[in-house]
Amino acid sequence: MLKPFRTFKGGYRFKNYAGQPAARLVEADIPSKVIIPLMQGFGTEINPCVKKGDTVFAGQTIGRDDEAISSPIHSSVNGVVEDIKRMNYFKREVTMAVIRTTNTSREIPRLEGHSPEWWKLSNEKIEELIYLSGVSSLDREGIPTRFKSSIIMPQDVSHLIVHGVGSEPYNISLDLLLDGKNLLHFFEGVNILKRIMPNCRVHLVINAHKKKIIEQLVKLSSELEWLDIYPLEPKYPQGYDEMLVPTILKQKFPYGYSAANIGVVVLNIQATLAVYHAVAEGIPLIERIIALCGPSMKENIHLKARVGSSLEDLIKSRIKENVPYRLVLNSLLTGVTLNDLSLPIERSYSQLIALPENKEREFLSFMRPGLRRDSYSRTFLAKLFPGIRKRTDTNQHGEERPCISCSFCEEICPVRIIPHLLSKYVKKDLIDETLMNYDIFNCIECGLCSFICPSKIPLLKQMKEGHEKLIMQGCDRSQCILPYFNLKGIEGYRGVTKL
Amino acid sequence: MQFLRKTLDNFYDLINKNKRLSKFKPVLDAGDEFFFGTSKVTTLPHIVDYIDIKRFMSFVVIALIPTVIAAIYFWGWYFLAMVIVSYTFGGLVEVAFAVARKKEIHEGFLVTGLIFPLILAPTTPLWVVAIGIIFGVLFGKEVFGGTGRNIFNPAIVGRIFLTITFPKIMTLNWQAPFTGGLGGFLHYQNTLDAVTAATPLALLKSQNIATSYTDLLFGFCSGSAGETFRIGLIAGGIFLILTKIVDWRIPLAYLGTVFVFPFLSNRLFHTTFSPGLAQMLYGGLLLGAFFMATDPVTSPFTKPGRWIAGILLGVLTVLIRGLSGYVEGVMFSILLVNCLSPLIDTMVLKARYRKK
Repeated sequence: MLKPFRTFKGGYRFKNYAGQPAARLVEADIPSKVIIPLMQGFGTEINPCVKKGDTVFAGQTIGRDDEAISSPIHSSVNGVVEDIKRMNYFKREVTMAVIRTTNTSREIPRLEGHSPEWWKLSNEKIEELIYLSGVSSLDREGIPTRFKSSIIMPQDVSHLIVHGVGSEPYNISLDLLLDGKNLLHFFEGVNILKRIMPNCRVHLVINAHKKKIIEQLVKLSSELEWLDIYPLEPKYPQGYDEMLVPTILKQKFPYGYSAANIGVVVLNIQATLAVYHAVAEGIPLIERIIALCGPSMKENIHLKARVGSSLEDLIKSRIKENVPYRLVLNSLLTGVTLNDLSLPIERSYSQLIALPENKEREFLSFMRPGLRRDSYSRTFLAKLFPGIRKRTDTNQHGEERPCISCSFCEEICPVRIIPHLLSKYVKKDLIDETLMNYDIFNCIECGLCSFICPSKIPLLKQMKEGHEKLIMQGCDRSQCILPYFNLKGIEGYRGVTKL
Repeated sequence: MQFLRKTLDNFYDLINKNKRLSKFKPVLDAGDEFFFGTSKVTTLPHIVDYIDIKRFMSFVVIALIPTVIAAIYFWGWYFLAMVIVSYTFGGLVEVAFAVARKKEIHEGFLVTGLIFPLILAPTTPLWVVAIGIIFGVLFGKEVFGGTGRNIFNPAIVGRIFLTITFPKIMTLNWQAPFTGGLGGFLHYQNTLDAVTAATPLALLKSQNIATSYTDLLFGFCSGSAGETFRIGLIAGGIFLILTKIVDWRIPLAYLGTVFVFPFLSNRLFHTTFSPGLAQMLYGGLLLGAFFMATDPVTSPFTKPGRWIAGILLGVLTVLIRGLSGYVEGVMFSILLVNCLSPLIDTMVLKARYRKK
């Protein structure tokens, strides 16, 4: 059923940034060597079950641990295991399997027992397929199966949210993901998920501007009473679990814990498609569609690439190298910078954003009319001409100044806290329960306050500092959450997984 | 541009060589940043908003441009001299403190230095302007720790200091404006019939003579240099609200209260306040409501706090105008509410974050 439009207070709509990815898919070549981290997406690190020198085929399980909360990991090419070593990967030591390709065929051996007529399969078989394909490790808390792929069990799930809001400055294209037959596959994927999580209500959340997709989905789902469709404004950070749950379910979110703790599973479109591919077609999760965004890319397209291909192979030739650039993973507001191009891509990647590293000083910068400058305030001409593509670069556009309490950060904060007030407390080192009382632990670290500040104060950094100092003093976020929520799966919870 | 860069670089060389001069690095830095922007890059988030404090402050200045041009038209080029004096001496205090504190120079005084002459009588002697701005910036802002920490609006502090110390200059010298033709654009100062016209508010209060709304709106009446051209003030205020530089709550609450409160009070308590619409157009209310009460540093930062401050401002203004010996109530009420803002904020925060 189509639900009326709804939204949340605060947040910011990033409109029309230069370098949006076009709805065109290019298949990347099979790399000559892949590096596969044995910790991908949701789940703990697992032990390899292959040795150095083993021959593996594409889709063969090379790591699996049924005891810990995890999902299997596969080789993504046909080849020989060259080495298994521990490497530095996003500030952690992670075991990596290095596999040299021997056969560059694109063929992927299918999983056993899959069936295009999936409704004839038993629930056990479907769960097993989802688990074995590795799909169950996608997104913030994974897809619950009986194999401990998430912190809760499938029957505990009361709501399943599948979203394609696209609230980031750069998003993977919905038109591409749900093109033609894929829309039907996606819908089948939702049906499969409903089958393994029988007690849940399904909420499909789609960018309100994609009218055509919503129309088609409404037509498809007209007879299903367990499914609702919500058109939502693509306002950052609507795509966060923390914002989806309150907007859609009108339910409070246990900030700092995951949605799974209150029995909600949040998945995105690509994960749902992967569910369909795993169950109906038996394809293990060894390929990922990645959007190449940003003005520093030669072409803004989508790339279908094997997990474990190095960034160097994939995108080095696709970046404009004449100006210095910065490569960012997934989100321009919270994503990590990818400095080391030898790192591999993995399951959790969906956008790679390259933007110029702008250290140039600009003459009378603050007096420019600003046809291509995005701002929350309406002080640039760009607000009058929304059709013009906005420039993105990494310049700070101004010097740091003292806070003038303009309240922009308060207005834009999606969780209704007052960043400038908290940052003043932290700066003065006044760390006590007042901070907690002012809901500092509600911060979801979306980065909007730092984005918006006209005084260029690193508010997000100071808030994180405040968190750490408070925890050192014995104030914990559990004190704000646990007494008010009945959380599930708390034993298995290890903190929010954010890359 | 090349020339500027070279000059600045030469100065940097000079400062780096000479130890005594190196204290003045903040001045040079300010100039450098003003013309050439920044080369710093972001960490996280990777992109930031294009607005900075320079643009923020310069938009207030832009919104005041019609008022400044009108002031020159009505009062002659002498007003420009007042602006220059105000900027020079205000800037000097700012620089002195930046040098002493070894901190950068902040852009806040761009606004203070322009608003200050606008709230003075157009005949104020230049030395009085200088004293007023020095006192205002020094005791209104710098002693509290500079921009962002001041409790009072520096321009108001300066103005009130002058009102109290030089009552004769500040309250008696009202000048009739130049009207017709090119007006004050051809004159330096109106010397012919100075010290004649009483302000509309004084006329209303003492002799019960009302000035017509057209005269009030277009500025054909006496008053402070910047308060008479009310069409320009309204346009500037709306411009600031539309560009989100100031919050709409304070002006709306302030003007709304001034409009409604006299009516209610006259009905309920049998007072004899002048009617609301007239009060809104008399005196410096529009200038105060749009440009001074909205100063983000000195007004409450919480939204309910802004409503409360606005209503309080309105009530105080009407009360001071109607019941006290002073003709003008806007600046006193703004000063009073300025010192109440921290309290209002604390109360709002207490109510909002009650201990769970």
